[in-house]
Amino acid sequence: MAMTAVARETVFALRRQIAKIEGTLPERLQAPAGATLDDGAGTGPGSDLTIVRRGLAAALPDAFLPIGVERLDAALSGGLPKAALSEIHGLETRDAGAVAGFALSLVSLILNQAQGLPILWIGTSEIFHEAGFPYARGLHASFGIEPGQLLFSEAPRLVDALWVAEEAARMTALAAVILEIRGNPQRLDLTATRRLHARAQGAGRPVFLLRQAAEPEPTAAPVRLIVASAPAVPRATVAGPLAGSIGHPAFTISIGKSRTALPGQFTLEWNPDERRFEERRGEERRERAENPVPVVSLSRGRKDPAAASGEVLAFPAVGSSVAISPAARDQPPPGQRAAHLSPRRAG
Amino acid sequence: MISHRQGNAQRILALDERAEALHLKRDMGIADARAMHPSIDIVEADPEADRRLLEGLADWCDRYTPLVALDSIDGLFLDVTGCTHLFGGERAMLDEILSRFFHQGFDVRAGLAGTPGAAWAAARFCGDRIVVSGEEEALLAPLPLAALRIAPETRTSLESVGLRTAGAVMAAPRAPLARRFGATLLLRLDQALGRLDEAISPRLPVAPLSVERHLAEPVTLTEEIERLVGMLATTLKTDLERRGEGARTLALLLFRVDGAVSRIALGTSRPMREPLLIRKLFHERLAALEQQIDAGYGFDLVRLSVLAVAAFDMQQADLTGEAADDGADIALFVDRIRARLGEGAVLQPVPVESHLPERAVAIVPFTEAPRRTTPPKRPDKMQAPKTIFPPERPIRLFRAPEPVDVPATEMPEGPPLHFRWRRALYRVTRAEGPERIAAEWWREVPSDPAASTRDYFRIEDADGRRYWLYRQGLYGGVSQIPPRWFMHGVFA
Repeated sequence: MAMTAVARETVFALRRQIAKIEGTLPERLQAPAGATLDDGAGTGPGSDLTIVRRGLAAALPDAFLPIGVERLDAALSGGLPKAALSEIHGLETRDAGAVAGFALSLVSLILNQAQGLPILWIGTSEIFHEAGFPYARGLHASFGIEPGQLLFSEAPRLVDALWVAEEAARMTALAAVILEIRGNPQRLDLTATRRLHARAQGAGRPVFLLRQAAEPEPTAAPVRLIVASAPAVPRATVAGPLAGSIGHPAFTISIGKSRTALPGQFTLEWNPDERRFEERRGEERRERAENPVPVVSLSRGRKDPAAASGEVLAFPAVGSSVAISPAARDQPPPGQRAAHLSPRRAG
Repeated sequence: MISHRQGNAQRILALDERAEALHLKRDMGIADARAMHPSIDIVEADPEADRRLLEGLADWCDRYTPLVALDSIDGLFLDVTGCTHLFGGERAMLDEILSRFFHQGFDVRAGLAGTPGAAWAAARFCGDRIVVSGEEEALLAPLPLAALRIAPETRTSLESVGLRTAGAVMAAPRAPLARRFGATLLLRLDQALGRLDEAISPRLPVAPLSVERHLAEPVTLTEEIERLVGMLATTLKTDLERRGEGARTLALLLFRVDGAVSRIALGTSRPMREPLLIRKLFHERLAALEQQIDAGYGFDLVRLSVLAVAAFDMQQADLTGEAADDGADIALFVDRIRARLGEGAVLQPVPVESHLPERAVAIVPFTEAPRRTTPPKRPDKMQAPKTIFPPERPIRLFRAPEPVDVPATEMPEGPPLHFRWRRALYRVTRAEGPERIAAEWWREVPSDPAASTRDYFRIEDADGRRYWLYRQGLYGGVSQIPPRWFMHGVFA
């Protein structure tokens, strides 16, 4: 028994070493434990094709950034790799808002764990001119990124932008690096992306490569997501959806490249108040409209956030230890109140 | 021969020895000179180029002393106080300067004296003379009045009363001189004789600290220069440690064998004294400047100066040897980027109290952004929103709002139905707004308040993209200019 455990450890160590040399995550594709391919994990149609990856991911539970949408996380086998280069594509320059928005939502998720670390957004002058410069007020309002946490680097030439990105990718003092490039420049080839990927792996920080108006081409990034904007649902009010209003930002995500996932499309909605993604599906919207509970979003950005509704009960359950609070128990019944507290009577 | 225009005539400004041999003189008319010698070569004076040359020479003279000042258009003052022993005494230093200039092709005269005035007179009227302190009077006495650095009018009037040499002026009673010729004459005289101090105004501020290395064999390779920087920085470190300071601005001066001087300066975002880091910064800077620095025959003097210093806070490291300072990594990283790509390579947004969207955030270089040294006491209170529902703001803002063509709106004050932006037609499916933002009257008074008023709309097009459009101006305003539409930003 002991021998097998030791042997398994050795195998794991060797596999990890090989992975380090190759610069990839080790993977052994196998069906999810305890589930046959037929019944799936119950995450919808198409989940029967979901494959769980074992290996380093199992050894390092922190290797992935869960997006928070069950179906997408399952397709990506746990989320986006944290220590890697991830490509986020937009088909046209006018999609820059959606592409940047999706990347910043991911950064916002990262900042939940790495509080206070700055992020660096590198772009060429061309893209900042074409697609607009990041606006700190909007970033703060939508993604909770403080202006003091933001660093921008604008390079007139692509070479310089790549150099800054490479230098930044190996910084552990940055929460994330965003590199934004337009089109398919020759210089951003397999070698350049491999260099970025290797540095990101070394530092353990994500590098998001935003590519506006670019054709997919071979790169070293393990994951490529293609982002487009999706029509937003109307704002939810107590009296139902407000007609003609524009609610939370929504994105259509397609997996363009992934080791594990099959191509698929997801419509995600970013909730700026709770700072998390929700997947939008037709029937779910209807349910939500009927159920008035989550209409008012919970307070955000506070030290002691309010518990999600459902956990807090107005009337404690019978037999619960905190059924009656001590303060309430110490209250004397109304009849025994002090005389000076009782309402005065004339006479 | 060099000519310049003075008044209405072209006159000779300067001339060489062969022209002098032809009995030509300064201030002679060009027409006369041509009449005498039709074959002379005349070049138009170029004061700008002369000035540049003189500044280049002054740069080169930095190798002898940090205090180099320009003297009118054709002279340099070098304050060599305390520097001569480095070159083996006054005579040796003067000889070296003269021979180096001679080999560079310049005809130079020099004088060395205890006062600038005496040195000036010695250089121009005696040539290569070293005046020992106290001998100024003996030097000046036989010299003409021009040696006193006085205005030509004063000189003419002094000559008209029979005072033709500096000695004669010195012998004359002072009070009548001052009354008749002004205080400047006596001031110049006293300065030359050392009775009054005269300070020369150096071109460049003197570095608080600088270290240099003279090389027997000139270096040309960038790697060698970097290694030298590392060595110089190591020397610098002990000085900085003794002073308890760190460098904020550093300059590397490379003196080329043939006289050209390259000056490479860089700033750091926090005080620095670590030789390895200084070397790293210069590595980036040199890599960026590779095209501009021409090593030529090599550099024979390398100097590293600290131009600005700041107090250096020692950080206590923990037991693992790592100082708990998150900002240091970022600052160093930014320094390296700045060294390579320039001051504005790394930017940071700073919120500004303004309701105009483009003014509400200022983008400043990283080093100029205010640093929050201590975390705010109550972050909840600091970030309290002004309104319960803060206005929606886009995540990207165009630097200059882009004009949008709007063919029709449903109602004059409402959102557009279609719009054309960058030659593409967009169909508006939903719109929120307007949010009216007026110009800030306390900054500038607009000629027509209505014309600069903006109505912002959040607009979603048929594909689900969300934009921030605004209409500038109001319908039916005082001015007859119709309102125009602009694209100002995009939402997520």
